[in-house]
Amino acid sequence: MADEAPFQFLHSELIQYITKSAESGDTENARNITKLEIMGFRVGQGLIERLTKDTVRFKDELDIMKFICKDFWTCVFKKQIDNLRTNHQGIYVLQDNKFRLLSQLSAGKQYLEQAPKYLAFTCGLVRGALSNLGVKSIVTAEVSVMPACKFQVMIQKM
Amino acid sequence: MTVHNLYIFDRNGNCLYYNEWNRKKQAGISKEEEYKLMYGMLFSIRSFVSKMSPLDMKDGFLSFQTSKYRLHYYETPTGLKFVMNTDLSVSNARETLQHIYSNLYVEYIVKNPVCVLGNTLDSELFSSRLDAFIRALPYYSPRAA
Repeated sequence: MADEAPFQFLHSELIQYITKSAESGDTENARNITKLEIMGFRVGQGLIERLTKDTVRFKDELDIMKFICKDFWTCVFKKQIDNLRTNHQGIYVLQDNKFRLLSQLSAGKQYLEQAPKYLAFTCGLVRGALSNLGVKSIVTAEVSVMPACKFQVMIQKM
Repeated sequence: MTVHNLYIFDRNGNCLYYNEWNRKKQAGISKEEEYKLMYGMLFSIRSFVSKMSPLDMKDGFLSFQTSKYRLHYYETPTGLKFVMNTDLSVSNARETLQHIYSNLYVEYIVKNPVCVLGNTLDSELFSSRLDAFIRALPYYSPRAA
């Protein structure tokens, strides 16, 4: 990832494009978020192939999550996840205190309703990465005070 | 040693942002009229300066001063105009204005997907960072000279 600015601008444009091309009001909001998440999914799948082509196989799920928190996040956002929590039963919470895609948006409560759109792509990114590593999951995100945000990963047992 | 106020205009003459720190006397006209007056003056001075310059012009209009204050002007290649009024002790605020543009405007407005370029700058993040930056300037003091 050479420079952050092109990715950030492209990401913002992507969100604008998806929002504009679905004109009919609020009911479309969920569909837009789904579209963004699906895009992120595909990107995540490809990205993780590239990143792990020389790494050894992972020992267990926790190892996979740690890889996501450290190397994967560093590659995409140039920093690591600040906090990883788990209940050892398939739920992981990744906390990023200064999420790159939100840090220019606001520092606090302004624009809070618009934040979910900006997190959808990243949720898909994580889900795609995990899926290509053999882990089926559902990823959601929540944000209360920007630029900190939490991604919750729920592993689905086959 | 102080900064009085700051205006940011876009290339069409709309005032995108205004803030004041130490203004003792108001202009006596409404804010919209004040912005139009300021922009009109700047436009006229710039073209005057470029026409009447006895040598080849490099940067053009930079600042003017009165017996009480100095007005500094910085224009970006994209047509954005930054105008800052300070007291007379500040001789050159060009780097300050350049810093405001590149580190505050570009970071918090241009990169902010919610802020549409051309609208007034609503981002609270931008306001608070700008405020903190101005207050941290070496030539700013809360009590006007």
